Amino acid sequence: MTTETKQAALKKRQDNRFINKETQTAAKYLRRLKELSGAPDGIEPFYDTLERIYVDMQSADVPKGMKTIGTYCVMVPQELIYAAGAVPVKLCSGNYTAFSVGDEIVPRDACPLVKAVAGFKQTGLMPLYEDCSMMIVPITCDCKKKIAGMLSGECDLMTLHVPASRDDDDIDDYIAQMYDLIEKLEKVTGNEVTYETLSEGFRKVGYAQYELSEFIRLKKQTPYLVRGSHEMAILNSASYMPADKWGEALHKVNESLKERAKSGQTVTAKKLPRILLTGSPIVFPNMKIPLLIEEMGGIVAGDETCMGERGMWDPAVITDNSFDGIMRALANRSLRPCPCPTFADNKQRIYRLKQLISENQIQGVIYHVLRGCLVYDFEYKRIEEELGQLGIPVIRLESDYNEEDVEQLRIRIEAFIELIKLKQAPEKRTSVRTGF
Amino acid sequence: MRSRKRIIITSAICIMLVGLAYFAWLFPFYEFTTNDYSTSVEKLLSTDYIKTLVPLFIIIGLSSVGIALCVWLRKLMAKTDKRYSRFANIRTGKVAGKAPNQKPAVFMVIRWIVMIAFGFMMIWGGLIFGLKMSSISIPILSCPWNTEQMTESSCYYLSHLNELFELPIKSILIFFGSTIGFTLLFGRAICGFLCPMGLVQDIMDKIRQKTKTEGVSMNEKMYSALTPIKWCMVIIFVGLCFMGGNFCNFCPAVAVSPILAGISTSLYVSGFLMILVLMGAFFKRRFFCTVCPLGYLMGLLHKFSLFRIKKDCQACTECGACYEACPMGIKMIYTERGKADVTDANCIMCGECVRCCPENNALSVTFAGAKLYTSSRKQIMSEYEPKKRESEAAKK
Repeated sequence: MTTETKQAALKKRQDNRFINKETQTAAKYLRRLKELSGAPDGIEPFYDTLERIYVDMQSADVPKGMKTIGTYCVMVPQELIYAAGAVPVKLCSGNYTAFSVGDEIVPRDACPLVKAVAGFKQTGLMPLYEDCSMMIVPITCDCKKKIAGMLSGECDLMTLHVPASRDDDDIDDYIAQMYDLIEKLEKVTGNEVTYETLSEGFRKVGYAQYELSEFIRLKKQTPYLVRGSHEMAILNSASYMPADKWGEALHKVNESLKERAKSGQTVTAKKLPRILLTGSPIVFPNMKIPLLIEEMGGIVAGDETCMGERGMWDPAVITDNSFDGIMRALANRSLRPCPCPTFADNKQRIYRLKQLISENQIQGVIYHVLRGCLVYDFEYKRIEEELGQLGIPVIRLESDYNEEDVEQLRIRIEAFIELIKLKQAPEKRTSVRTGF
Repeated sequence: MRSRKRIIITSAICIMLVGLAYFAWLFPFYEFTTNDYSTSVEKLLSTDYIKTLVPLFIIIGLSSVGIALCVWLRKLMAKTDKRYSRFANIRTGKVAGKAPNQKPAVFMVIRWIVMIAFGFMMIWGGLIFGLKMSSISIPILSCPWNTEQMTESSCYYLSHLNELFELPIKSILIFFGSTIGFTLLFGRAICGFLCPMGLVQDIMDKIRQKTKTEGVSMNEKMYSALTPIKWCMVIIFVGLCFMGGNFCNFCPAVAVSPILAGISTSLYVSGFLMILVLMGAFFKRRFFCTVCPLGYLMGLLHKFSLFRIKKDCQACTECGACYEACPMGIKMIYTERGKADVTDANCIMCGECVRCCPENNALSVTFAGAKLYTSSRKQIMSEYEPKKRESEAAKK
């Protein structure tokens, strides 16, 4: 045997091992999600999407002939991609297996999300990544900047410069970048972006956002109608589904939640400690923290992470009907309401957290930090101080993309939930359990 | 360097405005052989009326030519620009399609009805309905040369203070009483709801929105450059009478209501200014309001007026949609994080910020504590709501 064939055989073995491990972890977390009680009717399409991407290892289910455009972060306006006749997929990754591959090629202190992306890129096995015609990377931190450089080899890549503040001039600069983005998208997809297609893109994303606002309105109700882990699974799958399909699927979930509200069914009759999850993104299959919270008897009542509620919440409000006015609305939406810690002054995130706390009657905040995610770690101190004044307990959970720290996390989360339970008045079991 | 340039341009404009105002009678725009201040319903129906309308036609014609010229020039500029040459057509040409817009809010419909009805009454109220309350003065820019308007507008005596003090004391008291009373009651909501100049400008903006022409988006720096011009306008407005000038030769409002009421008045600088006002309002919503001297004087009392903009600072996500929508460029409305009251001296209570706010209850227009109009996400998303019939059909 020549060395070449030997190497090829080795590569094949490695690839097979990668695929096996990757599908196993994804399937495991999907199973844990499914085992969790209280899933709303109609959640299956979202599970199917996650299964399709991570277990069956297929590309996103897009209409025939449409290209997929990979995006990172929340600053890429999806409306523009739909306007160019393509479908956006979010490539921020939470994969443990890819992480361990990526660990070898990027510096040790880089964040696991970037390591996982680098791992996928190295193996070249993930169809979701390989099928992308173009990638758009907003430069939100140093890791994203360097990963953009690494990714730029194979497909078209565009970086978006995210300014450090959100002043008028910054918005103007971002609009200019949006125009550049259109030009690039047109080159890649071969379709022209017109006023009409852009409006159509707005309608697609707008419909998804309409259903999302409805969903979040229902989710806020007490007693709770839906668990936070299920909500995160639904919102995570938005990254791999066309917005209109996602909206339709969510519509069915909303209908079933409304039924639930009418018939008085709830996830559980017990008074579970209501927990807000914030900090670094939580991407499937890295769902260990929300799953642990809910398995330990808490409920993720609020979610302020960019792969979750925050990513799609803010609509682009058109204040001017001209084409430029619509572009302004997009740039404005991408930067101004975004509580990403990449901005130097990010006080608005504290207000957002306070609002979520009062709306969802949060009793404790779990601040998730991915190892090496400096920008989120920086903001912890300030948020702990601010929320301490409100009397809300906060803990910082640092985690990595592996399962070695699960037990440690479990102990900490359990202790945190017990602490909240001690604080709240002893529960009176008067109502009969009507739910599951 | 850039700021020095701005100072030079601003002061040049101020000096020009003062010069124009002082020598206004030297620049005739349209002169009638005899100014005829009498009018009647019969005159409105006769051919004489068309003769008095001539200057208005000229103004409309010239301003539409000016707008077309600006659009064309911008297209040329866009074509030579490296980045935007590809978008020259889509940005400046005719475009098909309909942008998603939310359903009209009740508050906005009422505002438009009030504006149109009041504008109508200020022009023909006395003539057709015989409704005249000439002792009451409302601080709006509706030309008092039109003697047939429904109520008196305060602008005449405020710009002719020397004449005001020659009046009997009772009239002076009634004048100040009604002017200050209205300002205290409604504040600059008068600008947003009653002023005919505002109506004219809002119509120009509606035309732009319908034709999807690109406007000029002003940022904070440009607004701050306009502030000295506004002060200059206030000085002209109040001080010109003492210098021996006549503000009415300069005021653009003269070109609207008297002409429409069938009164033939010769136009001086005001005619030229009206063209600028119309063009400005086309590209920038309520452009004249940002430099309006009367509005500035009313804004001095904004702390006491009963119309207020309230903000729930916690609900705000700082998305800046209100700031983008605001025709007066009030940035404080989205940066404010403490006070519940965000009424600004420049606010004209047009409700545009509330209309564009996507957060429930984050912004509201209140009158004496009662909420008139509150922001709601449902309203913002109303365009994206699936049609009821479709969803029912899907169920079947």
